[in-house]
Amino acid sequence: MNKKIFYLLFVFTTFSWSQTLDLTGNVKDKANNDPLPGVNIVVKGTSLGASTDFDGNFVLNDVPTNSVLVVSYLGYQTQEITVTNANPLDILMEEDAESLETVVVIGYGTQKKREVTGAVSTVGTEVLDELKPIKVEQALQGTVSGVNVTSQSGAPGAGLDIRIRGISTNGANGPLVIIDGYQGDLSILNPNDIETITVLKDAQAAIYGTIGANGVVLITTKSGRKGAKTKVSYNSWVGFQETTRELPLLNATEYALILNESYAAGGQAVPFPNVSGLGVGTNWQQEVFNEAVPIISHDFSVSGGSEKIAYSISGSHLYQQGIIAPVKSDFRRNTARLSLRADLSDKVKVNTNLIYTYLDRDAINDSGLGSVLFNGLNAPPTLSPFQSNGDFSLIPSTPGLGIEIINPLAQIENTFNDFDLKKLNGTVSLDYEILENLNLTGRIGFNTTNSEGKTFAKQIDYGGKVFDVPRSSVSQNAINDDSYTLDFYGTYKNSFADAHNVTFTVGTTIYKEFGNGLFATGFDVPNNDWGFADIALANGAPPAGAITVGSYQYDERRLSFFSRLQYDYKGKYLFSAMLRRDLSTRFGPGNRVAYFPSVTAGWVVSDEEFFKESSFMNFMKFRVSYGILGNDQIPNNGYIGQLNGEGTYVFDGTLINGVAIGQLPNPDLQWEEAKKFDVGLDLKLFDNKVDIVTDYFINKRDNLLISNIPVSGIVGVSAPGGAAPTVNAGGVENKGFEFAITYKEDISDDFNFNINYNLTTLSNRVTEVNNSTGFLEGGSFGVGQPAISRMEVGQPIGYFFGYQTNGIFQNQGEVNAHPSQIALGADAAPGDLRFVDTNNDGVIDPNDRVNLGDPIPDMTMGLNLTFNYKNIDFTAYAFASIGNDMVRNYERTLTDVNRLNYVLGRWTGEGTSNTIPRVTTAATSNNVFSDFFVEDASYVRIQNIQVGYSLPQDVIDKIGMTKARIYAGVNNLYTFTKYKGYDPGASNGAPIGGGIDFGFYPIPRTYLFGINLNF
Amino acid sequence: MKNNIIKKSAALLVIVVAYLSCTDEFVNRDPVYSIDSENYFNSESDYFNALIASYDMLQSTYANAILGEIASNNTLCGGESATDVVGWQQIDDMIHTPVNGNLRDIWNWMFAGVNRANYILEFQDRTDFPGKEIYIAEARFLRAYYYFELVKWFGGVPLKVDERFQLGDETSIPRASVEEVYNLIESDLEFAINTLSYTAPQTGRVTKGAAQALLGKAHLYQNEFSLAAGVLDNLILSGPYDLVTDYNSIFENEGENGIESVFEVQYTDVEGAGFGCLQCSEGNVAVGFSGVRSYDGPEFTSGFSFNVPVQDVVDEFEAGDIRKDVAILDIEAWALATGATFGTGFEHTGFFNRKYLPRKRSANAQGDLNLTNPNNYRAIRFADVLLMAAEAFNRSGIDDEKARQYLNRVRFRAGLGDVTAGGNALTDAIYHERRVELVGEGHHFFDLVRTGRGTEIDGFTANKNELFPIPIEEIQFSNGNWEQNPGY
Repeated sequence: MNKKIFYLLFVFTTFSWSQTLDLTGNVKDKANNDPLPGVNIVVKGTSLGASTDFDGNFVLNDVPTNSVLVVSYLGYQTQEITVTNANPLDILMEEDAESLETVVVIGYGTQKKREVTGAVSTVGTEVLDELKPIKVEQALQGTVSGVNVTSQSGAPGAGLDIRIRGISTNGANGPLVIIDGYQGDLSILNPNDIETITVLKDAQAAIYGTIGANGVVLITTKSGRKGAKTKVSYNSWVGFQETTRELPLLNATEYALILNESYAAGGQAVPFPNVSGLGVGTNWQQEVFNEAVPIISHDFSVSGGSEKIAYSISGSHLYQQGIIAPVKSDFRRNTARLSLRADLSDKVKVNTNLIYTYLDRDAINDSGLGSVLFNGLNAPPTLSPFQSNGDFSLIPSTPGLGIEIINPLAQIENTFNDFDLKKLNGTVSLDYEILENLNLTGRIGFNTTNSEGKTFAKQIDYGGKVFDVPRSSVSQNAINDDSYTLDFYGTYKNSFADAHNVTFTVGTTIYKEFGNGLFATGFDVPNNDWGFADIALANGAPPAGAITVGSYQYDERRLSFFSRLQYDYKGKYLFSAMLRRDLSTRFGPGNRVAYFPSVTAGWVVSDEEFFKESSFMNFMKFRVSYGILGNDQIPNNGYIGQLNGEGTYVFDGTLINGVAIGQLPNPDLQWEEAKKFDVGLDLKLFDNKVDIVTDYFINKRDNLLISNIPVSGIVGVSAPGGAAPTVNAGGVENKGFEFAITYKEDISDDFNFNINYNLTTLSNRVTEVNNSTGFLEGGSFGVGQPAISRMEVGQPIGYFFGYQTNGIFQNQGEVNAHPSQIALGADAAPGDLRFVDTNNDGVIDPNDRVNLGDPIPDMTMGLNLTFNYKNIDFTAYAFASIGNDMVRNYERTLTDVNRLNYVLGRWTGEGTSNTIPRVTTAATSNNVFSDFFVEDASYVRIQNIQVGYSLPQDVIDKIGMTKARIYAGVNNLYTFTKYKGYDPGASNGAPIGGGIDFGFYPIPRTYLFGINLNF
Repeated sequence: MKNNIIKKSAALLVIVVAYLSCTDEFVNRDPVYSIDSENYFNSESDYFNALIASYDMLQSTYANAILGEIASNNTLCGGESATDVVGWQQIDDMIHTPVNGNLRDIWNWMFAGVNRANYILEFQDRTDFPGKEIYIAEARFLRAYYYFELVKWFGGVPLKVDERFQLGDETSIPRASVEEVYNLIESDLEFAINTLSYTAPQTGRVTKGAAQALLGKAHLYQNEFSLAAGVLDNLILSGPYDLVTDYNSIFENEGENGIESVFEVQYTDVEGAGFGCLQCSEGNVAVGFSGVRSYDGPEFTSGFSFNVPVQDVVDEFEAGDIRKDVAILDIEAWALATGATFGTGFEHTGFFNRKYLPRKRSANAQGDLNLTNPNNYRAIRFADVLLMAAEAFNRSGIDDEKARQYLNRVRFRAGLGDVTAGGNALTDAIYHERRVELVGEGHHFFDLVRTGRGTEIDGFTANKNELFPIPIEEIQFSNGNWEQNPGY
């Protein structure tokens, strides 16, 4: 009986096999119902197949019944469909972007995200679209754990600094930037040209050897898709900017009263015997800040492809004016881009990408003593900006106002400069699948940059200020910077016994950067006018003996060989090992070669038998990595002595130039060595709705390259143009914890949301400063005071070093009971700051200085929300930085300058204040660097809020579009902080000397309105 | 299968070729357009260029000059506030410690000068050409000049002869004795005296007279009075120098490098400067620092009001001394007379060091104007030589008559009558004359110290403050090799 049934079944089945069907069907994108051309449909186990046409239709004849169709398309999830009848098929393809099969760029290759064993984070197009960054760096703030971005200034086009997992060196801390495989520059890229940003944070970056120690940012630019219909997209937005903050300064009456009190306390005649009628006076901040300052962005792209070719063409325009001096400070960026991929044959693929960028930036003095804001903060409110005849009023050069503060409006008016940059960068690569499992890649990437700068020093007299210019001049420069990256590597990829998967990559990279700069100055600009400011017209003879021209050249090279073995057993046990050999011209002949090994491993626990499939825990992977990376970012030619010092004297009354030794050489220079350890855990929970990535890392940096390391003066390094050698003499350790969680939910067809939260903790400690003093100094405070930032063993790098205070002396008795403070400059009096005798030696002196905080945040967090309800979308991005300290250094501590209104709460008699000292013109020690000037600059910033509305599908279908969206948003909406200054998130980026606030130009708040149109 | 092998071989070949084509040779490149410091001195002009750089460090002695006054009882530090240039303020109050950036500047800059001179001397035999000995003699004079400053300020310092100091020398080369330092100074100067002539090839370069004057001074500082008397007398009698008639003219621009100038540090204001590298300035930084704060009026320009003379030094001038109004600017009186306005800084005394006040500038002057004043520093004036000689003849007991003759020559120019005293009274008269003749020129502190009168300075501790402390950083760098000066 059983046998009979079996035979019957067999016959039936055989009969079925013999049946064939003629199939037709249509493939669409599930998300937007767009037809998908070029989709592959293959009958499983056969060579039978077809692909869809431009309307997504396909025809497939003679398909046996009950066959399985495999429907695949790059970037979409592959589907298998069993066909039992000939009814037309409607297939909806789902995009693959978020699945575990996502491919991640890891340097000289890609890897499936589920198999990645390093600490790697990515930022995709959506984030770039939502954040609307003007510069790419901004898109990394708060979106990626372990990455902190600080702005040098809020001025248009100003620089930003990226720090991956803390500050590891006293030298250059910026990460390596690789654009489509070649070494490039992030700061001038158009964010709209970027498909993904991948950040390699741990030993995974060891494939980049000596340049990977600070982390690696890999940029993949947009490209077309083969067989895709032509897609035209136009995005535009316009924004209106304003300052986020004005500091609370004294008005004219308050100012006059404080001055009177101060002068009286100093035993001097009061400067304002009659304060009535002074009113509020001039609000200099309002004079310099502008409102509704425009920023405009357009970008346009066309992409598409045929069966063998994919292309993408785009252009963009950005124009931003500054909230201070909109006309004198602006930023223009135009870009054009072409990406072309072609399959020359089944085995040979070519990929090209070219970007042209034009930048035009004009700037005002926006940082430090002498910046427009510094002047705005310190100028007396009793002074009107203009004289009665309409001229700018001069700020008197009295001792009380010093000789550095000038009328900020006059300063803006007399600022003339121009910076233009033209850059062409791109890559051509050729992939040749020489064997089924062996792929060869040859690639050249290049950057060629020309920039021109011009500054006009107008002849001007501010009345005895340091900014007076007795003779007009114009300084011009032309700089060429070129580089190329030549890669050649092979990748062997194979699977054995369906279990052992091996990928082996071996190759070489040649990198060369070379360039030159030419500088010149011309005197006596005709009519003292910017319109005539060019060396061509400025033909006044330079002073005899003065050298008014200069130039430099450089040629630096690096040769690298690298290999990487990736192995996994059934995708469950993952292992990779990398070795790179580098040679660099930064080091002397004896020390040019270095090897950088690393290993990573992973275990996909959720693939184990014992790990039951559950809807709670979908995926679990442990990762661990360890490796050694290098850093070679030091001045060129540090290993040889050169005659590039300055030796200039006067013979016969004329300046005469000789030669002198420059930086002392150190023939023993070696690489800075970064040892990176990372353990990580990746989880997917609740039907893949929750995605968690956690990491713990220890980064140890040894052999720190300390340029101009303090050495004994007997070797003569402090001569003009001289410098101490660069020496491998330090160590820094960063430890931290990273946590990122994403929660995605489709509540209904109409409503879905996505929440992303990330957190990074950071603990920084200097482990070695081997220069016999045990510390390095940097960072300035006030005028004529010693450096306040230090790198010292056992402390965080760049911590603030000064006096600790303990309230205010309330009466003479308290003064008498306390050790003398005379060594700080003046005897204390009631109302003065009381400094702590930290070493209990009975005297307050420089030995009592201690750690007063550091600019490194203990913790940073990002929170990103996205909601979609029907046709409305909403996004919000927030960033928090906790535990970073900042030094208030924008107050020119002179008697007659304006002040912040906290001075209203000053000590005026016993019991009135225990925090803010008295005011007096007499000598006090209150202005020496103490914790009175160090503030907690922790902050929470709402970076971006945006609401968009997309026209319904049926409406846009009618007008032949695929997407039409309008939106409104606010960038940099609000910052919650106790910090008194403009921007708690700003820094000059210096590892030793960062976090000192000279009156940072605040990042503007921008109200923006825009449209996205796709055809 | 065969096809496969061919393909594999081809792939291997491509890889091998690619590797070979980029051997390590790629990174063997010479730095572009740069001169290797160890392969220089191949022509006369190479020596000359290196010599210019040795002179360059003279300009950084502005700090020695202004601090020589501030440290003495001639002036107060002044400035903007009690914390303005803290290192100077502490020295003014004689409360300075080894932690003092301004003292460290002097140490660093003078050693930079020593090393630049030694750079030439290290390669003195590399290339021969006629007249090379002139360059060598100038280099040796400059080395002596810088070592003389070092020994004045810090006492015995490490010595290196005809070789640059190398890193690591700080832990192996000991501090030489004061005597050893002077021995090197004397031999360098004797070589210069025997090689150079009284007229320099260019204004500003070293002459035989300068070497003689410095040698005499070095002997005087060692209380070797007869040796000092000999060399100074020779200079006075056979040198081309004389006192200018109008004392006032010496310190004006037109008076630079005049007949009274035995050695003068040259400055100019045609090149800009900044606070980031004061030693890089081609101007006299001390002048801007000495200027009247917020001054607006005739003749002078403003400055930072440091180095303000005290009443005591003003009172030191005898009635009728024409030098008083040249040396001291009474700003109140000046303002009253000319309508000039000014501000008051810290420790305002109403007096300024008029010899080295910033004058009105040419249109060529480059900023920061406070740092680029072109006033030459009259390092050794003939009047100084006469007074040194007078002191040498008097204190050696050789010839009070000659001492008086030289002293009275200086007094006569100042409009004063002759001194007739002898012995110790004559010594005191010479000390008095040195103070008023040379006030504001940076000598007084060292004159007090070398004559055992340091305690005239408020806060001065005998057997300590005669020398300044070795900078703390240097003590640390030496890792126990150098001992700190007594008392610090």
